Amino acid sequence: MRIHQVLSGAGPYDAVTTQAFAFRELFGSWGWDGRDVAAEIDPRVGNRIAPLRSLHAGPGDVLLIHYSAYAPKLRAVLELPNRKLLLSHNITPARWFWDHDPQAAVVCALGRKQLPQFAAAADVVAGVSLYNAREMGSETVIPILFDPRTLGAARNTRSPGGSQGAGGSERDRDGGSAAATILFVGRLAPHKRQDAVMRAFELYRRRHAPDARLVLVGAPVNWAYDAAMRELATQLSPGAITIESGLTREQLADRYRSATAFLCLSEHEGFCIPLLEAFHFGVPVIARPVGGVPEVAGDAALLLGEEDGESVIAELLAIVATDGELRASLRERAAARVAAYAPEPTARALRAAVESLAR
Amino acid sequence: MRTPEEALAAARAAAARRDDELPAGMSIEPTERVSIEQLMEWAAIEPDVELMVSTRRLGAPITWFKRKVIHFMRQYFRELQSQQTRFNLNVLIRVAELEDRVARLEDARPPGAPPADDGAPPRPAGAS
Repeated sequence: MRIHQVLSGAGPYDAVTTQAFAFRELFGSWGWDGRDVAAEIDPRVGNRIAPLRSLHAGPGDVLLIHYSAYAPKLRAVLELPNRKLLLSHNITPARWFWDHDPQAAVVCALGRKQLPQFAAAADVVAGVSLYNAREMGSETVIPILFDPRTLGAARNTRSPGGSQGAGGSERDRDGGSAAATILFVGRLAPHKRQDAVMRAFELYRRRHAPDARLVLVGAPVNWAYDAAMRELATQLSPGAITIESGLTREQLADRYRSATAFLCLSEHEGFCIPLLEAFHFGVPVIARPVGGVPEVAGDAALLLGEEDGESVIAELLAIVATDGELRASLRERAAARVAAYAPEPTARALRAAVESLAR
Repeated sequence: MRTPEEALAAARAAAARRDDELPAGMSIEPTERVSIEQLMEWAAIEPDVELMVSTRRLGAPITWFKRKVIHFMRQYFRELQSQQTRFNLNVLIRVAELEDRVARLEDARPPGAPPADDGAPPRPAGAS
């Protein structure tokens, strides 16, 4: 079989591009060939992704369209007679961006508006979560291919004298001998609500843990938003909040290994890979149950209610940081979630969806 | 020991006993509907030169250079700005007038008449 992947855009750290590379490896292992193209390509991607104009699909070839952003050039692909599988990676509602990044807001608004046209032109429509799929009236899910092996060992295996990253070893995390480190990983963007994370953290710090630290990892949507968030961090908790981006896989793994709790107050998530990453490292997760979060987290996260504000979150952080048995219970459930999203079932879902097109 | 299910209830009870103030500072809110007044403000574009920066490490000289380029081209940029703002404001005024007109028509609708926009396509003549 020949299958071509079509992306709206390709970048070196982009989750969709990473997903496309992983899919291509799977296709290769099944003996399928084809090429991967994108409407916009960051030069750092190299020649693994070709320009959209180089797509020459033969009569029986299948097209897998990864839809993640507005891309007017992709419309031409809809006109091709080939069978098509549309995989939606979700687009954030524009209302989160109008005040902070008008260009991103326009792209989101147009992307969401264009999505039904793509869904109507595809033979099979799928989402990376049921939440995403149902936005397009589909029940077909091809989850994000999550391979925890790429992140390294869950526990810190380095010698006690070695560097421990931002906040201490696994034993310190459970024993309470080191200062608590609260972590959030996700783009520094309005809908991710790092502002609320910082406020909840500051309350927790004031009430329970004056030495606690907050680590926010994620690339900013733009320079101005980055500056605004850094200013807020300095205003709320001077010296206690670190904002980082561009980390290597090893550095990211270190942040997870050092974390006491993972706090996600995002208002919109299509899937939320960092939840699975936190689960892999056995870090207790507190999250808002929005979008695909409840589906991915299952019973392994402490999911907040709509009325739960920063004060409740601060108390929950204190409980999670000090109750070792609660942490152990969450860790056990987390392992089950990671197993549920193992690469093999995802590969099977992908293969079934593609083969249904080829029949 | 608390179960995960009990932990949330315990946190809510503990929070209810607290009466300390929430930390102040910027709070992100979604823009559900942009008002005409807000659109007017956005329509008159006036980008701040401070927004022109280099995000590279040690990018200060690049930032300085980029701002100098803007300064040298200020006459041309002013022209661009005024043409774009002229278009934006005129479109907005038309939209505001249309909104007023629709509102007036809706107010003048006789009691019991169907809504002006019930989502249905116009019926062909003779259809029941």
